[in-house]
Amino acid sequence: MIDNPYKNYFEMMPAYLTILDRDLRIVEANRRFCRDFGDFKGRYCFQIYQQRSERCEHCPAELTFRDGKRHGNEEKFINQLGNEISLVVYTTPITNEAGEITHVMKMATDITEVILLQSQMRERRERYRKLFEEVPCYISIQDSDLRIVDANRRIREDFGALPGEKCHQTYMHQAEACVPCIVKQTFGDGQVHQSEKVMTSQKGEQVNLLVYTAPVHNAEGQINYVIEMSTNITEIRQLQSQLTSLGLIISSISHGIKGLLTSLDGGVYLVNTGLAKNDRQRFEQGWKMVERNITRVRRMVLDLLYYAKDRAPELESIPARAVADEVCEVVRVKAAEMGISFGCEVDRNIGDIDADLKAIRSLLINLVENAMDACRVDTKKENHVVRIKLRGYPEYIEYEVEDNGIGMDQEIRERAFSLFFSSKRGNGTGLGLFISNKIAQAHGGEIKIESELNKGTRMILKLPRKPPTSGTEAPNV
Amino acid sequence: MSSPKRILIVDDEQDILTYLSTLLGDQGYETVQAKDGEEAMQKVQAGPLDLITLDISMPEKSGIKFFREMKTDDRWKNIPIIVVTGVSEDFKKFISSRHQVPAPEGFISKPINQEEILDLVRMLTQ
Repeated sequence: MIDNPYKNYFEMMPAYLTILDRDLRIVEANRRFCRDFGDFKGRYCFQIYQQRSERCEHCPAELTFRDGKRHGNEEKFINQLGNEISLVVYTTPITNEAGEITHVMKMATDITEVILLQSQMRERRERYRKLFEEVPCYISIQDSDLRIVDANRRIREDFGALPGEKCHQTYMHQAEACVPCIVKQTFGDGQVHQSEKVMTSQKGEQVNLLVYTAPVHNAEGQINYVIEMSTNITEIRQLQSQLTSLGLIISSISHGIKGLLTSLDGGVYLVNTGLAKNDRQRFEQGWKMVERNITRVRRMVLDLLYYAKDRAPELESIPARAVADEVCEVVRVKAAEMGISFGCEVDRNIGDIDADLKAIRSLLINLVENAMDACRVDTKKENHVVRIKLRGYPEYIEYEVEDNGIGMDQEIRERAFSLFFSSKRGNGTGLGLFISNKIAQAHGGEIKIESELNKGTRMILKLPRKPPTSGTEAPNV
Repeated sequence: MSSPKRILIVDDEQDILTYLSTLLGDQGYETVQAKDGEEAMQKVQAGPLDLITLDISMPEKSGIKFFREMKTDDRWKNIPIIVVTGVSEDFKKFISSRHQVPAPEGFISKPINQEEILDLVRMLTQ
């Protein structure tokens, strides 16, 4: 059927070539076919390729006999060694001199290795994708317009990064690119760059990130993308901050103690000279100085103890007004001595709350003492007032401590709860409000500050009647 | 008999104002008090002074600002100033690094040594 020189090409073709008659019987086959599928004489195509007794459902040879066109498909076959191989099959018509289709030539190319490689490549791609998605850091790929082309799961979840968005809009919530921008630097010089950034997560949390960028080259060696990888170092920075704070507290306490000792010395001097001169007024003035400064020493020591050790709040059901009454009783005398008008407006039918009595009492006393200090240092008003109020709501209660003292500017308001921040210069440790805030949080509550410089301050402590059971650690009280 | 030397005591702590006023008053000095730099400047402008004791860490106008104003104004620069503060060593270093402002006439660290401050006051008001 096939004459020389085509017979030679037919034999040498690196594919399986067969000639089929209308019954799909193989009438001729090349060497490679005979090698891998054995003797074909008198056998049908479907018997050899598919080891079937009937024709295949979608037979390309049959289609070619029917319409005279080329057809093809991809199929799996079993060779004579019993191995499954993948073949791409094409059929083409063979016509006689009258133009009638007498036979069909079937050419099958072994693509088993290609399929295997494709499968391995797919697996590898999936593995890298999984690594990209699951790696415990933030990875994004950016183009030269700083648009995110791809972002891993972590960055999508924490920052909401989506392909097409600009890097600085997503991470920094700013319209312009960062200055300097290390992604641009990498696009410029092809080098790895590093920087530290504070970014804002979807939850609004500030996250310290150590960011690296590296170039991604195309086949021509040009940089078409830059990969940005960031590690969350917030905890490390917080730890560093705490270590720095330890140095600050030593300095702060040292300064505070120097002031306290000087005031105590003053009190002792007045007491001694008052006794020596038989001057009762001077003696009493000195004694009050001694008492006042011993109270300050006690407060400082307690603050330090609170800071030094944490523990969960010991919750018990307590009448909310009892805490306010107790604090009012303690503070009323002190306020009178300082010439400050003091008011206590407590709703008598406020009910109970679940709270750590000692912790809440300490918190309130701290707020009231701060209020009185704010009045004491205020030289601009003649009359000062401190008020404690207590209001009850179905789910929570509010203690409010209000003064018309020196007040706070925006900077002091924003930093008021920061550890070791004090607006009292050498007279505060920067622990009081930090600890008060921790106590409030441990009860599932919060402290709000409303204040204006030279006008006064209102501190509002909001506490749920029933704190969440999985509360955070509370300071030791 | 000569009139008593007049000393301005500047500190934001009322107890320390009371202490120094009493201590110096017992030695025959006349004292006036100020709670911050701004009030101190008003007292300086109000009357003649022979000496100032000055705290550094104060609300409102700080001791450093007040000190600089005093030492750069020809009307007041000759009034001796004793810096009385818990951070006097740091202040000493700070002032030493600013050559255009002369050093204070005296430094006293808190807690105050009574003999030391009285000797210094005596020497500077003679």
